[in-house]
Amino acid sequence: MPATGARTDTKTVLVIDDDRDFTTAVTAVLEREGYAVVVADSGREGLRQLRACHPDLILLDVMMETTTEGYGVNEAIKYSDEYRAYQSTPILMVSSIQESPDDLFPRAPETDMIRPDRYLTKPLDIPKFLEVVRKALGR
Amino acid sequence: MDGERDTVVVIDDDYAMRLSCQQTLAKVGYGVEVFEDGARGLDGVATLKPGLVVVDLKMPGLSGMDVIARLHDIDPSITIIVITGYATIGTAVDAMKAGAYDFLPKPFSPEELRVIVRRGFEWRRLQLESRRGELDRELMRRRFVTFVSHQLKTPLVAVHQYLDVLRRLGDAPEAAARRAEWLDRCLVRTDELQRLIEDWLTLARLEGGALVRQRVRVDLKEALPRMLAGHEPLAATQQVTLTHELPAPAYPVRGDPICLGVLFDNLIANAIKFNRPGGCVRVKGELAPGEVIVTVADTGVGIPPDALPFVFDEFYRARQPTGRRVEGTGLGLPICRRVATEMGGTIEVESAEGVGSTFRVRFPACADGDGAPDDGRNP
Repeated sequence: MPATGARTDTKTVLVIDDDRDFTTAVTAVLEREGYAVVVADSGREGLRQLRACHPDLILLDVMMETTTEGYGVNEAIKYSDEYRAYQSTPILMVSSIQESPDDLFPRAPETDMIRPDRYLTKPLDIPKFLEVVRKALGR
Repeated sequence: MDGERDTVVVIDDDYAMRLSCQQTLAKVGYGVEVFEDGARGLDGVATLKPGLVVVDLKMPGLSGMDVIARLHDIDPSITIIVITGYATIGTAVDAMKAGAYDFLPKPFSPEELRVIVRRGFEWRRLQLESRRGELDRELMRRRFVTFVSHQLKTPLVAVHQYLDVLRRLGDAPEAAARRAEWLDRCLVRTDELQRLIEDWLTLARLEGGALVRQRVRVDLKEALPRMLAGHEPLAATQQVTLTHELPAPAYPVRGDPICLGVLFDNLIANAIKFNRPGGCVRVKGELAPGEVIVTVADTGVGIPPDALPFVFDEFYRARQPTGRRVEGTGLGLPICRRVATEMGGTIEVESAEGVGSTFRVRFPACADGDGAPDDGRNP
């Protein structure tokens, strides 16, 4: 329950990450800031929830079932016809990998789509994370 | 740049030599550019990026040896052929020590030039291919190292995040209610990290050959029941029965007793963990020509068919019907496979969901009188 009670302009964040401890901690942080949070533990579940709850922002882990699952989800949302309605939803990608995606996947076309200001490393620096979320939501 | 046509640069102060080299090589399809001295030749190489350079050792101004040294600065992989006068064979050998691929003493025939240039390009292609192979292997290694570091970082990230949130939320109601639960999760995740590191070290030591200390005769007829007995307490808490069928007089294999222990401990522990209350684990021994076969069968949840091809992959943990991944480090089965392979054997699995899984390990049989006798140090 958002700390400030239900508001008509409550923003919803969809968290797609297969580590339930990480999502539990992040959910607590976001809910305290007044966001509603929906959690999905896989790319597939995340895309299902995308349709179900129309989030205002997506927090997306890179490595889930496979090493690049997050990139696949990002690509589906940004580039496929199927998810066209959600194309403009801001996506923050997170990973414990410190390197930039370019170093890790130099030949992957996916890296072109990742904006540097939307790629956060885990563990999240909470004040910085909340600032990035605010900016992405245009607040 | 090497495009569809291999390009050669010829550097020689003798006009006739330049012309004849150009004609000889262009006739068989090479792109050829000629230069009359070292300085111009080096500029030309920098611009044209040829695969191969033919250079006269004895020139006024910049000598052939100087040119060779600077060519390697421009392009370390460039192939160099030096042309020498008969009197300067010694210098030619020096040139090769300095990095030239081969030398051609004057006078030489057009065919001799063509042959040496062709061999030069073939050699260059081999060099480039093996370097590409190295690059691919390096890339794979880097990705793997990153993958491993991610697997090890994940529990640590969860712990950090929980502790940071608890610290920030302080006495806020959300925090107080969940503090006990979250601290508990921190401990679970640190235990997980510990096991991951231990298993990873085990696997690394197996790969490096450091764990396989001995190759002695081990009779599984004695070893297996002892290992099973060690798992009785765990089996009891899970309400699982442990049985074995080892009818033959002996099941001799050659290997390291500790590694064999690690292999079967993993299989038996899994069989108990992924079982159902009232279920059983059956360890069976069979003899086949030249082989000892051990199966560890459980009556548990089984492995989903789409997970089966991956169960022996490092860090792989199958998803259960709930969507949750199974508990564990994901390194137990890769370790089993590694041990089996070290002993010249194989491991495979059959499984049916809701029925159970059977792991089958095949070892080469240790012929009696082969190697040291069983020293009684069974795991």
